[in-house]
Amino acid sequence: MEGIRRFFGGFRAAASGLAAERARVDVIARNIANAQTTSTPEGGPYRREVLRFAPLLERAEDGRMRTQGVRVVGVERDSSTPFERIHDPDHPDADAEGFVLLPNVNTAREMADLITAMRAYEANASVQENFVSMAERALRMAQ
Amino acid sequence: MNPLESPNSRLLLSLLDATAQRARVIAGNVANQNTPGYRRQVLAFEDRLREALARGRSVDELAHMTPEVGEDTLTPARADGNNVNLELEMSAMRENRLLYEMYSTLHASRANLITAALESR
Repeated sequence: MEGIRRFFGGFRAAASGLAAERARVDVIARNIANAQTTSTPEGGPYRREVLRFAPLLERAEDGRMRTQGVRVVGVERDSSTPFERIHDPDHPDADAEGFVLLPNVNTAREMADLITAMRAYEANASVQENFVSMAERALRMAQ
Repeated sequence: MNPLESPNSRLLLSLLDATAQRARVIAGNVANQNTPGYRRQVLAFEDRLREALARGRSVDELAHMTPEVGEDTLTPARADGNNVNLELEMSAMRENRLLYEMYSTLHASRANLITAALESR
């Protein structure tokens, strides 16, 4: 039945959402883990990572572009949020005046993003369940 | 005449098809709820059928109509330009699934197809 195949597309769209949100949770975890990393191989403190999402498009039968899901375009460094500068002369990474640059990671912000990502992940999971029950329905109809 | 080839049956099949497509459109919206600048997509079919019916179109003409996917420009966007509202999307998904179940039940019973499909919406 042609109807069943239609559901796979939506199922994959939800899967792309799950993958994207999972990637975001990974980035958030890295950011939180490095909230106090003051020296990196590139030099300077850790710079928080941000993911860039974009819609995954496909050409539909009528020739128009339709959203098929979401994809992670890339991981970028957040260069707009400034580093925090604190006075701590005993710190090994302190400069001559005793100032240390801390990563531009704000833990509260990361936690808020984490909740958003988890909510989005759950939403994509229930969209998948929705497709399962619709496909079951379609199968019963075909019987 | 094969009852499955009647305009009523064909219309019901297009409704089933439209709800299946709509489920996919909703999945695309949910997947892009955190994509900056994304505008939620909506699939219009039942409303267009109702309009056509009000304009006096026959069931046979209705059976040849196809759903249309467009951008939702009415729902306000967040600061990042995205206007996907998760609660709205999830309730649209549930509503759509109930419609799908209703259409498939009607299809299975093959009775009073078009009137029930349009009136009970």
